[in-house]
Amino acid sequence: MKRVVQHPEPSELSGPRYWRSLGELTQSPGFKAQLEREFPEGASSIDGVDRRHFLKIMAASFALGGLGLSGCRRPELHILPFGKSVENAIPGLPLYYASAMPIRGYALPILAETHQGRPTKIEGNPTYAAYGGASTLLAQASLLELYDPDRATAHLKDGAPVDPTAVAALVDSLGGAHEATKGAGLVFLADRSSSPTRARLVKSLRKRFPKSVWAEYEPVRDEAPVEAALACFGRPVKPLYRFAKAKRIVSLDSDFLGTEADNLAHTRDFSQGRRVLKPTDEMNRLYVAESGFTVTGAMADHRLRLASSHILAFAAALAVEVTGNHDFEPLTRGLEVKPEWIKACAADLLEHRGTSLVVAGSHQPAQVHAIAYAINAFLGNIQRTIDFAAIEAPDAASIQDVAKAIQSGGVKTLVILNGNPVYNAPVELEFASLLKKVPQVVRYGYYVDETSVHSHIHLAATHYLEAWGDARTIDGTIVPIQPMIMPLFNGLTEVEVLARLAGESVTDPYTQVFNTVTPLMGGDSQRAIEKFLHDGLAEGTGYSLVDVNLDASSMGRLFRKAVKFEALSETNLEIRFIADYKVDDGRFTNNGWLQECPDPMTRLAWDNAILISPKMGKWLGVAPKAAPLQVARVEAGNEIAGKENAPIAELMLGGRKIRGPIHIQPGLSDYTVVLPLGYGRTRSGRIGNGSGFSAYAIRTSEGAAYAVGGRLTLTGEHVLLADAQEHWSMEGRDLIREANYQEYRKHPDYVKDIGLEAETPPVYGRDGDKYTLQQKVTEIPRGNSLYKTPEFTGPDQWGMSIDLNVCTGCNACVVACQSENNIPIVGRDQVIRGREMHWIRIDRYFSDGKADAAAFGGPGNRELPEDPQASLQPVACQQCELAPCEMVCPVAATVHDSEGLNVMAYNRCIGTRYCANNCPYKVRRFNYFDWNQRELNDLYMGPLGPEGMPELLQMAKNPEVTVRMRGVMEKCTYCVQRIENGKIQWKAKMAQAGHPGDVVPPDGFIKTACQQACPAGAIVFGNILDTESEVAKAKAREQDYALLGYLNTRPRTTYLGKLRNPNPKMPDYRSLPLSRIEYENKSGESRLKKEEAHES
Amino acid sequence: MSTLFPKSANRLPLQIAIFLVILAGVVSAGVTYYMTPAYTRVGYAPVQPVPFSHRIHAGELGLDCRYCHNFVERSGFANIPTAQTCMNCHNQIKTQSPLLAVVRESAKTGQPIPWVRIHQVPDFVYFNHAAHINRGVSCVECHGRIDQMDVVQHVKPLSMGFCLNCHRNPAPVIRPLNEVTNLGWTNPGGPAAQLRQGEKFVHDWKIKPPLSCSGCHR
Repeated sequence: MKRVVQHPEPSELSGPRYWRSLGELTQSPGFKAQLEREFPEGASSIDGVDRRHFLKIMAASFALGGLGLSGCRRPELHILPFGKSVENAIPGLPLYYASAMPIRGYALPILAETHQGRPTKIEGNPTYAAYGGASTLLAQASLLELYDPDRATAHLKDGAPVDPTAVAALVDSLGGAHEATKGAGLVFLADRSSSPTRARLVKSLRKRFPKSVWAEYEPVRDEAPVEAALACFGRPVKPLYRFAKAKRIVSLDSDFLGTEADNLAHTRDFSQGRRVLKPTDEMNRLYVAESGFTVTGAMADHRLRLASSHILAFAAALAVEVTGNHDFEPLTRGLEVKPEWIKACAADLLEHRGTSLVVAGSHQPAQVHAIAYAINAFLGNIQRTIDFAAIEAPDAASIQDVAKAIQSGGVKTLVILNGNPVYNAPVELEFASLLKKVPQVVRYGYYVDETSVHSHIHLAATHYLEAWGDARTIDGTIVPIQPMIMPLFNGLTEVEVLARLAGESVTDPYTQVFNTVTPLMGGDSQRAIEKFLHDGLAEGTGYSLVDVNLDASSMGRLFRKAVKFEALSETNLEIRFIADYKVDDGRFTNNGWLQECPDPMTRLAWDNAILISPKMGKWLGVAPKAAPLQVARVEAGNEIAGKENAPIAELMLGGRKIRGPIHIQPGLSDYTVVLPLGYGRTRSGRIGNGSGFSAYAIRTSEGAAYAVGGRLTLTGEHVLLADAQEHWSMEGRDLIREANYQEYRKHPDYVKDIGLEAETPPVYGRDGDKYTLQQKVTEIPRGNSLYKTPEFTGPDQWGMSIDLNVCTGCNACVVACQSENNIPIVGRDQVIRGREMHWIRIDRYFSDGKADAAAFGGPGNRELPEDPQASLQPVACQQCELAPCEMVCPVAATVHDSEGLNVMAYNRCIGTRYCANNCPYKVRRFNYFDWNQRELNDLYMGPLGPEGMPELLQMAKNPEVTVRMRGVMEKCTYCVQRIENGKIQWKAKMAQAGHPGDVVPPDGFIKTACQQACPAGAIVFGNILDTESEVAKAKAREQDYALLGYLNTRPRTTYLGKLRNPNPKMPDYRSLPLSRIEYENKSGESRLKKEEAHES
Repeated sequence: MSTLFPKSANRLPLQIAIFLVILAGVVSAGVTYYMTPAYTRVGYAPVQPVPFSHRIHAGELGLDCRYCHNFVERSGFANIPTAQTCMNCHNQIKTQSPLLAVVRESAKTGQPIPWVRIHQVPDFVYFNHAAHINRGVSCVECHGRIDQMDVVQHVKPLSMGFCLNCHRNPAPVIRPLNEVTNLGWTNPGGPAAQLRQGEKFVHDWKIKPPLSCSGCHR
């Protein structure tokens, strides 16, 4: 008899309450239809081409195939060895170079992996201790920019290509033309840069052209404003936060784990304070007051939704409570926050003098930063949890100065270095029309973009992987930028352009860098540069940390100008502009990896949206209605089987307006509209053009971070958004298990109380505890099963542990995996169909603690939840020991190996997709098209469309991993190429050293791509048989649980439960995480509840 | 109606059946022989741009394989030497030989010599030389007596079955690590001694050749 596995209904038994979208919460018919499916609707059907048409096309292509029947013999292939031996180059082995990725005023130290001279992967440089080898998704994805077919491939003069050999003379002549006038009328507008060489060249530029103007512009500020430090401490300093030492943290609208500068160190340090290994460990507590919903907010223990423009009042109120100094009292007028919230928070801070930290968001005005400094100073946090580094006061002019100069007609030549002001300058400057007034505009840029179109000369820039240069990290340490490859399109390095303009005698960029950095390092200069390039940093060159004293009287300067507290309403909205998590300020818009990566909080890919709160959604009438109403109405407008059909709205601000789709984001401050920047580019390239709308079109100098006075109106039109939040949904089971820190201290094994393992047979349930971890992974109790079970005889048994308590959802793992494993992008249209190919995804769940959500059998929410908790969970192939996918594969294309890997043999796969159908974790991905060989726009052309991958993109592929073709299934392999190569390298090394019997690589020798990228250290991978390995230790912890463990799939990837650490004295304190409140109330079975009853 | 078919027609179904059985046998035998690497690849000996003789260099002169293929112990690829490696000797000997003109040109300009590839496994197979050389598998097991060949030719099928033969039973081919590049080496004690020694190595060195997909396919 066929045994039917009864999945427990997601009602009584399944524990926590999570929902991933409003559709799920209200159980809209569209969502329900979506759940029943293995893949989202349309994922398995051909659109636009009917069967007849398809057969016609196929017949034609077979006929053509017959004509060209010539390939019966294997082609003659050649092996091309080097003519001259190349130092360090070993064919077949990767070579690593230490370099750095510059971005704004700092750089991320990286290691670039190169194969036969082409960079294929970016990793963090572990020599830089603050980041420990971690990297961001932007650093990971910057590799693809190098191979972007849309990058500028020629230098242009008046639109016509310039001969590469004549460019140097052209740049020389630009400088020479202004020498006589001492640079009068010569204006430079550059991006921010930390390069010491550039700083030196700017000095010599000023020497050659004393009358010229050097201006710098960055559309987004991600570091604290210097004005605040100048006012408070009387000298230019910048704060360096030490989150590892902070036990209590208050964020004033600061996304320090996400978009702020130095987020890698923040995440790394924050997770140190967050991670608890045993119940006696202390756990940090995070208070966040913010307008949007950021990844930092998702980690918060107490989150206050507050408009960005009200943060100043809140900060002042907090300062009053903490310091008892009532000078700030007037600033708090109008603030509508429960006083108890601020009181309890302040009391908590006061209990942690010297171990607390108040952080203000970089976009916040100097006043907020000054108040934060004052609170930190009062609490004695300075030089404990916050250090100050002495920096040079910025002396560049602003873009507003440049605009004024152009208006007055005094600009003859404008040199724009990087940046893209025509796209992202404050809108009131009308930069595009300003440029028409300049006789000569010279642009140095990586793309021929919006600004280049308005320029007379475009100089093609090099990618940082092709150029010599230098930069400083956030703490000032000098790092090299060294080329891995010759410039692919004869681009010029920034150093060379500036050196030529400055009329330097030496223009070679390497010599320029050499001349800058070696004097700073001292000693033998050749030795010094070799060590510098080898280590990837120059030790001891960081900014000096200084002792600062708060000067209250000079701080008062900042507050002389009265600040008006403006109340917000439906018709007087606050508009908040944020740097996008993926495309940043627009510089990465043409990057397919980033575009396809879903935003960590909205889960939108390929587009931005006007993010509004549920309250505004209700006011506008676009929010999903409560479920009973919805059933009667059978909603067609808002949702089509898991696809988000977003209404388009017009947003008015200061007489300007933009149009964009609306996305309701629970957790937003009621009257704040969040607009991610960086989209709506018109001259970006094939990937970036036409994605989203440009929020710059209503962004002024005054309201660069946020502006008040917005108004939203619906247009009545709709557009489909590529929203991945309902894709790969697992029906709200006990997937994430959370507890409060207090509960954890009493019951460290709380995860075992949630979920169904307690009820499962002794095979792997609670009774499984009598086996050791090592026994569990090698011996499978058969449990009367007729199936032959795999034999795990290998000396290594691989496993992974993911710590949900520290994962911030930064997406670095997603892009690292994409880069390592040659995962293709599929485009907006295909993402809407649910065909994205990511092997690892980060699920974002909301929970609001309401008992009546329709998703959980209740009558349906009467109110849309406004203040949910968010939980994040990375999910890749769980590498089940008893894998459901293997049992259904008719051709044994997916089988187990002796080391516990569930492996996929692509060349055996015939594409039945049975495996994906049977996978409870929805982690298998199918190649519906030949993503690598076909243009994303012509997928449906079939064999009639153009074929072949651009050579440039071929170069980005990892040669250690098969590039999959159409019709095969794929999934996470635990980076099997790294495992196999690691083992082989270890064995070879041991054999050469005379120990051929030593075959087990030590812990940490093999790292998966996701593990290596993770700044929080949330992902641990290794050999479970080694009891001392990190992964074995993690799995031995009491919070360890398996996803859907009751299915007896025995996953090799397990999770460590999440903890929250709320303050019992806070007004919004709940003794349980919101996700568990309803379950505990209903079942009344939890030990915690019983004990509480007993105690009272 | 009886005249329509002769009596012999009664045997026709049987004859057809026998014919089909034979045909199937012949076809499968043919496919197994003519369409597998044992036939399609073995014996492939293309003309190389330089008439380099392994018999002279590796055989008569006794150069170790690793003099030229110097990264074979560290890398997955057994690298083809650079022209500079050739010139280490040939700037002293046969300096004017017209046969070496291509090599001298390559060493001078850095332009690679287009050697014709002989041994090749499919793209989805990740064979690794270092893994074998360091575990006592000799070059000769896959490449044959290269040291006796004037023109290198493909002598073993290098099919998946060929690989699995050894992976299932490695003991007969595992030899001491210092004899790996000695192509003419056989165990002085004969096959029985080789088997004993091989089994000892398999045990001591914990040799477990992968039999699962992940060993070679990624």
